[in-house]
Amino acid sequence: MTKKINIKINILTSKLVLCLLMLFMLSGCSGGREINDLEIVIGMGVDKDEDTGNILLTAQVVKEGEMEKSSGSGGGGGDGKAFWNVTGTGESVFESVRQITHKTGNRLFVSHNHVIIFGKDLASEGLQKYIDFFLRAHEMRPTAIILIAEGRALDVMNAKPETEKLPAMNIAKLVKTYGFTSHFYKVNMKDFASCLMCDSRSPIAPLVGVSKDGDNKDIYMSGMAVFKNDKMVGRLNEDETRGLLWVLGKVKSGVLLISFPNKQGKAAFEILEAKSKVIPEIKDGKIVMHVKIKAESSLSEQTTAEDLATIEAFEKMQKAQAEVIRQEIMAAFDKSRELNADVFGFGEMIRKKHSNKWKSLKDKWDEIYQTIELNTDIEVKIQKTDLLKKPASPKKEEK
Amino acid sequence: MRIEKGNICNMQLLFLITGFVQSSISLIDFTVVITEHQTWMVILAGLVIATPFILSYVALAKRFPGMNLIQINDAVYGRFLGKVISVYYIFFLMMTLSFNILDVGELYATFLMPDTPFIYLLIFFTATCAYAVTKGLEVLARVSHLFVVVGIIVPVSTFLLLIDQMDFSNFLPFFELPLIRVFHGIHIMLSIPFGETIVFLMIMGSVNKTEGMVKNTLTGLLIGTSSLLIAAVRNTAVLGNTEAIWTSPSFQSTRLIDIGTVLTRMDFLIGIAQTVLIFFKCSLFFYALAVAVSQLFGLKSYLPLVLPLAGIEVIIAATVFQSPVDHAAITQDAGIIYSVPLMFVIPPLSLLIAKICGLPKPERGKGV
Repeated sequence: MTKKINIKINILTSKLVLCLLMLFMLSGCSGGREINDLEIVIGMGVDKDEDTGNILLTAQVVKEGEMEKSSGSGGGGGDGKAFWNVTGTGESVFESVRQITHKTGNRLFVSHNHVIIFGKDLASEGLQKYIDFFLRAHEMRPTAIILIAEGRALDVMNAKPETEKLPAMNIAKLVKTYGFTSHFYKVNMKDFASCLMCDSRSPIAPLVGVSKDGDNKDIYMSGMAVFKNDKMVGRLNEDETRGLLWVLGKVKSGVLLISFPNKQGKAAFEILEAKSKVIPEIKDGKIVMHVKIKAESSLSEQTTAEDLATIEAFEKMQKAQAEVIRQEIMAAFDKSRELNADVFGFGEMIRKKHSNKWKSLKDKWDEIYQTIELNTDIEVKIQKTDLLKKPASPKKEEK
Repeated sequence: MRIEKGNICNMQLLFLITGFVQSSISLIDFTVVITEHQTWMVILAGLVIATPFILSYVALAKRFPGMNLIQINDAVYGRFLGKVISVYYIFFLMMTLSFNILDVGELYATFLMPDTPFIYLLIFFTATCAYAVTKGLEVLARVSHLFVVVGIIVPVSTFLLLIDQMDFSNFLPFFELPLIRVFHGIHIMLSIPFGETIVFLMIMGSVNKTEGMVKNTLTGLLIGTSSLLIAAVRNTAVLGNTEAIWTSPSFQSTRLIDIGTVLTRMDFLIGIAQTVLIFFKCSLFFYALAVAVSQLFGLKSYLPLVLPLAGIEVIIAATVFQSPVDHAAITQDAGIIYSVPLMFVIPPLSLLIAKICGLPKPERGKGV
């Protein structure tokens, strides 16, 4: 009986010891990092170091203390900067990232990284060798937005915005709201890698620049950078970018401005909805891309005193808007031919629709792209005139 | 002599098979590298081709009611050859279990706990499976529906959350890849999610009623395959041509979820689902292994073998491959070859021999 009790006590003691051991040994991950030890990175910039030719990596680290101060005093306080642009150099991106620890004392925490900006010089040299780290690192998110700086990425990251505390967050916000004008487009790391892996499609990425207004530096978006394979070969301006987005069906909203033949004013329309369908056709060895676009708009402003809310005026304005859209598309198409870069992904569309024929086209796609015919069919419908039926203008005497 | 004393019902068998097939959801990544955007059709082709073989497992279990695979081998091939074949099966169970334990270790070491020593991950996971095995088949079967729910909810919810990022033209052209790659993919599919159901020959003997086994097995296969298909379609539609470059396409696609900048970082769902489902699969494999070894050595209970086998499994998992690249290459090419006879030759052959020889022979005085 005593023996049995002893065995039970022993089992109980072993269980207790095991529980205590588990309590101390399994209470956290061995790689756990306290929040105050984290260098939270919200944006990264990659440039070429002018002196050494190596990579110059800029990491925008959040200064938690300054963030609290500036929120408490309504945006001011301290040196006014809630961020620290810390740089590191190395022969690879990863080496540069680790070099930064010489200045920070902590490893960078890149899980909250929103934007990755590449300098124009690197983009022209080719991005393939620089993006690997950003796709491979386990903390990095594939949703991080890729941008190309008109000059150096470091300058873009140094430009302190007026309303936002953190430049990188400001840039991310700018890109995410592309839909207001559709003059540029959001491209994340996954999308960029996907285009890069295509046989024919040319990657694009939004361009960001810095303008100087006295002492102030402002960030602005200036269209899209166009790549051939992984090298930046040119750019699309705002209208050309929207022309591209019409075909891709990515136009969210924007302003369509039409002039009247007598030059007596303009009408501005807000794009409400846009849909596109592209059908590739191969006829007698000639490739024709049939682009069908359906858009809806609303009359948002008119600078003429004419009553535009009539059936005849609507018909005319719908046609005029379709013409504006067609011109934007053709401008984008002409530019893509000039750069010999298939930004529309026409080659990819042919691969998907006519895979057998694509095999013979693939190798000479650059030459074939120059001969493609674009056939547009654009239909615009004005949905509403907002709060006015007629413009507020002096009454004209009826004749 | 039967080692397992517990019984399971037909409905529990359905859930066990469903959960088992679902648990290979992370293993379709091995195929994606080869079959890219055609993975979905490879899964379907795998199901169609594997179904007759899986039905032969059920037919074998029904022919030898109450008997497990080791006993069936003895009955069909005799004591000596039967034992040799059983050792081959035990080797297969042992290696497959260690590969699956390794999968969990790699999942955690790559995505979830990269700084935690690899061996700790293997030890704690195997210990958890061992604990489940000591509780017996009945307990595993009783909770199997919970695993199935996870295996349905996670693929479906992530699919819905990613629907705005899907491009269904990524599936085009339908037949682009060389046939050899498609066959390779089908072979992997046949061997991994479907062929591994051979393990149920260690379990079907415990099903209390043999009627309805065919129906429940097929239903389980269909539900399990649906989860695999949802995951494969989601990954291809979201990731497109990049699908083949990621270590885990499922993780990568769910990392793209971004609903109003609030609902993000949903990859934890994949982490939970894969851990839970691979735990379920490993527990079933571990149970089958322990019972098979005990049966081979004529032990009365499999419980004393659980701890030593767990140790062996951890050692194999920790040492068998040098790197995940090694693991993937061998699983894709060599690993699935040695298992082919066990899945697609021996069971139908056993059934044929049993039919020809009229096995099992009725015991004297009992009738058929």
